[in-house]
Amino acid sequence: MSDAVYRLENVAYRHPGRPEPSFRLAIDALAVRGGEVLALVGPNGAGKTTLLSLFGFLVRPAAGRLEFFGGDPWADGDRVVAARREAVLVTHHPYLFKGSVADNIAFGLKLRKVPGDETGRRTREALALVELDGWERRPVARLSAGEAQRVALARALALRPKVLLLDEPTANLDAALGMRMEALLREIGSDRGTTVVFSTHNFSQASRLADEILYLSEGRRVEFSHENLFSGRAETDGKKSWIEPRPGARIVFAGVRRGHVTCVIDPAAIRIAAAAGGPDGPGGANVFHGRVTRMETTDAATALVRVSGDLVFRAALPVQELEARGVSLSKEVLLRFEPEAVEVVGERPADGAKPA
Amino acid sequence: MIFRELALAVWISLKTSGLAALVASALAVPAALFLAGREFRGKRLILVINQTWMAAPTVVIGLLFYSLLSRSGPLGRFGLLYSQTAMTVGQIFLILPLIVGFSYTALRQVDRRARPTALTLGATPGQASRVVLREARFALLVAVLAGFARAVSEVGIAMMLGGNIRNVTRNITTSIALETAKGEFRNGVVLGVILLVITLGINILVQTGFRGRDRD
Repeated sequence: MSDAVYRLENVAYRHPGRPEPSFRLAIDALAVRGGEVLALVGPNGAGKTTLLSLFGFLVRPAAGRLEFFGGDPWADGDRVVAARREAVLVTHHPYLFKGSVADNIAFGLKLRKVPGDETGRRTREALALVELDGWERRPVARLSAGEAQRVALARALALRPKVLLLDEPTANLDAALGMRMEALLREIGSDRGTTVVFSTHNFSQASRLADEILYLSEGRRVEFSHENLFSGRAETDGKKSWIEPRPGARIVFAGVRRGHVTCVIDPAAIRIAAAAGGPDGPGGANVFHGRVTRMETTDAATALVRVSGDLVFRAALPVQELEARGVSLSKEVLLRFEPEAVEVVGERPADGAKPA
Repeated sequence: MIFRELALAVWISLKTSGLAALVASALAVPAALFLAGREFRGKRLILVINQTWMAAPTVVIGLLFYSLLSRSGPLGRFGLLYSQTAMTVGQIFLILPLIVGFSYTALRQVDRRARPTALTLGATPGQASRVVLREARFALLVAVLAGFARAVSEVGIAMMLGGNIRNVTRNITTSIALETAKGEFRNGVVLGVILLVITLGINILVQTGFRGRDRD
């Protein structure tokens, strides 16, 4: 693929100064095409922010190769500064320099020696994009978290980078503004041809906005969503093992594990039925009670049902079976899945344990 | 004490201590920037030594430099003892740890996101360091002025390294010591008031002029 903006080969990163076992990001192979909108999805600690920092050249890979437009940005100091000027990161809690909104937006433009009148024009344009028209002179000390996030986005947009890196871009925004910002991200990606990489916990948001979704768990690329993704310290009886993501909510799986385990359950492998008189009845391993809090269809034939109880699960079943199984919104239901349906996707030595 | 003599003592105080504050700041702020931005083995030891040095009595530093600069000392051939240069050098060593300590605290209080933010917006490492310094400018100014205030009000170094030579190395504090020893308490009080006015002026400058800008 010759049009790759980023190409990663066996890239690994470890937080400096932390002893083993410490968090480590390891991506075997990844290419991000120009103009693509890539979503990084995963739970807290999955490595999303670290990968964004690698993409923004704020941290250097400990191993492997990270190419940017076919070259190695870490080859020398000048190259890395040039690469950073093309890939701007807006963090989850962005920092605004002391001064006014305009001072902040002008910061990167001054570094790029953009003339004053052009700086003014781009500042107004960027503020209009984030719906903060006329806010140039406001002191940043008086901005709310959401406003600060929009100013930070405007500060990045004014630079017209080739790559925009956004860490949870709608996290501090209310729902309505979040939707409008999503529309803006779509526009940036599709109309301007900017490559956008953003992180989110929200799988639906990733699906709406992204051309590609990269699922991360425990610093590694995984081939599924973070739905039904649970983690905890494993205990074992020598045949089966289990974790308790919440006290009393035990997920049992096959095999012997003793570390901190992350596992996933395929929504299609979860059987669901109304709680009263359900086919599987209460009791036994991997039986969970809950209430249907959301129903949606992924395609015409499959329903995705969210069940909230001690844990939150998503179960998939054919649409035509909903009625037969007595599954409807707000209904009490029982969920059951086999230990073999639980796939362990990550394991590291438990906290305090020595690495193997 | 005639007016000219008094004015000269004030001038010598401002000149030697101002120069000491400038030179010490030029050394201390980059050192604090280095210490604040990095974690390395031995950093804690450096900070402990700095804090200990901060508490060193002025006469001890005066004595140290006296032994270095006296005719029989290793730097005696430069003939610096009993000169304004000797006073300035001694004061630099007096206030260096103070400015390092205050600047280190100031820079540690700068939001840790400031530097990566500057970098991602396209700053070079040097430009990013300047951003961090700019974000702490008020607190750094306080560190420099605190250093100046310490230098201008000390008497041990000025006495031991300057020798309190009339119209040459006699500054406000050594003048106060002399006037008091002579029983001229009125002159001593006048000089003390002048010293307080200088310190007050510095504080007003900090509180009004700079703090207002820093709040934005």
